Amino acid sequence: MSIEAIWQWFAAPLQFEFMVKAIFVSALVGVVCSVLSCYMTLKGWALMGDAVSHAVLPGVVLAYILNIPLAIGAFVFGLGSVISIGFIKSNTRIKEDTVMGLVFTGFFAFGLVLISKTPSSIDLMHILFGNVLGISEQNLIQTIIISSVTMIFLMILRKDLLLFCFDATHARSIGLNTTALYYILLSLLALTIVAAQQTVGIILVIAMLVTPGATAYMLSDNFDKMTLIAAASGIFSSVMGTYISYHLDASTGGCIVVLQTLLFVMAMIFAPKHGLLVRTIKATK
Amino acid sequence: MSNITVKVEDCTVAYNGKVALHEANLQLNRGSISGLVGMNGSGKSTLFKAIMGFVKPINGHVLIKGMSMKKAQKQNLVAYIPQSEDVDWNFPISVQDVVMMGRYGYMNLLRIPRKNDHRAVVESLARTNMSEFKSRQIGELSGGQKKRAFVARALAQQAQIILLDEPFAGVDVKTEKALIELLVELRNMGHTILISTHDLSSISTFCDDVVLINRTILAYGPTGEVFTRENIARTFDGMVPVEGISNS
Repeated sequence: MSIEAIWQWFAAPLQFEFMVKAIFVSALVGVVCSVLSCYMTLKGWALMGDAVSHAVLPGVVLAYILNIPLAIGAFVFGLGSVISIGFIKSNTRIKEDTVMGLVFTGFFAFGLVLISKTPSSIDLMHILFGNVLGISEQNLIQTIIISSVTMIFLMILRKDLLLFCFDATHARSIGLNTTALYYILLSLLALTIVAAQQTVGIILVIAMLVTPGATAYMLSDNFDKMTLIAAASGIFSSVMGTYISYHLDASTGGCIVVLQTLLFVMAMIFAPKHGLLVRTIKATK
Repeated sequence: MSNITVKVEDCTVAYNGKVALHEANLQLNRGSISGLVGMNGSGKSTLFKAIMGFVKPINGHVLIKGMSMKKAQKQNLVAYIPQSEDVDWNFPISVQDVVMMGRYGYMNLLRIPRKNDHRAVVESLARTNMSEFKSRQIGELSGGQKKRAFVARALAQQAQIILLDEPFAGVDVKTEKALIELLVELRNMGHTILISTHDLSSISTFCDDVVLINRTILAYGPTGEVFTRENIARTFDGMVPVEGISNS
């Protein structure tokens, strides 16, 4: 492939405004999700992320019906699901993973019923799988605001959240409010899911919230480096995934997540210290 | 100044209506090592939680240097050294990162370390002989070094009271000895140490006091007086688990 062709591959889509917007939004969401994914992987909250992402569905639909920003509806239901999970877990004998499975499918199913009974232009496929190529002005602004707010919180509370993930007992013993940190981290999770819903949809958002962190975790023993690697892999997958989806005329969310997964597989095999290859060589020595 | 650092008075703690600790009384003195002995489920971790201020007693109270728990927390007075199995050793942080976490209570909201924070970390690492391992990821340490890293964090925190949860579980005899030496050093510098352990045979070698717990505090005081066969039998519901305990 000539240089000219490569240039064209990258430049041609940019003549369309929708592609410029899509690449920008995907990159933005990619960064925010990736940074948050470091905390999710270390705290072991993948299932929690999955639960919240499914539970926002009725919120999104109700927001359409009531004509309020989608983000508000999604946030209320995202947080509502978490509070329900916490309540059922501490007041019954049911184990946490069962409670999660029960609550998020219940919320999700309620959302499906709402959609099927709402005579409107809500496109279920767009909610489930994203529609970043057709993102509206209003949703673009919403995504920018949500991403900025989340990033600011993640920056300010970076060290407290890290300590909370590593050793909540110590955090509490020196007077940090761990309950507040728990709910802040959950709120950031809910907000990020709302922001990412446009790009990859609520089914695949969990990949954005787990995979970059896992990839970076394979590659680094230092949290700052891990965050940077995750962010870099997140931006790369988002931008390249959007391009590839344009050229192949394939699902954007799908392309982004496939790329992320490929990056993870490469890191898993070739990581210099924790990779499978190095481990195998060490084991056979 | 009073010599009593921790005072537990008529403390009853319950979870969901189930009493875990009943009318416990206890005093820990400044510059002492106390061994906490009891079976699983005897209320050891509840006592730890009460001293750290994590549970609110339904009766009685806990005072740290005469202060309420909230005040003591704000002053970073109590440090907790977790059991090894409760720590994620694959966590991507280095030894000095962990020790720096002991300083968070003294920092501003962004937790940006200042000169005295860095100094405290360097000193704590030196006092625990961990300086040369400061850049290691925590999982790359030996069992004894792992413990010392957390002791260093307690020192950086300038905690007066250090709680250790089963520090000898899974470490070899040599490491245990070295760790005991370090604890004795800390005691001599005035720290109050409470240590839960299953290793009854080593208690009389380094514990000044013993605290016997079985849903309430059965007895506490100087090891020679309290750590008797009869008391131990009461602690373990009539069974003495290990030989080699003094009859005095």
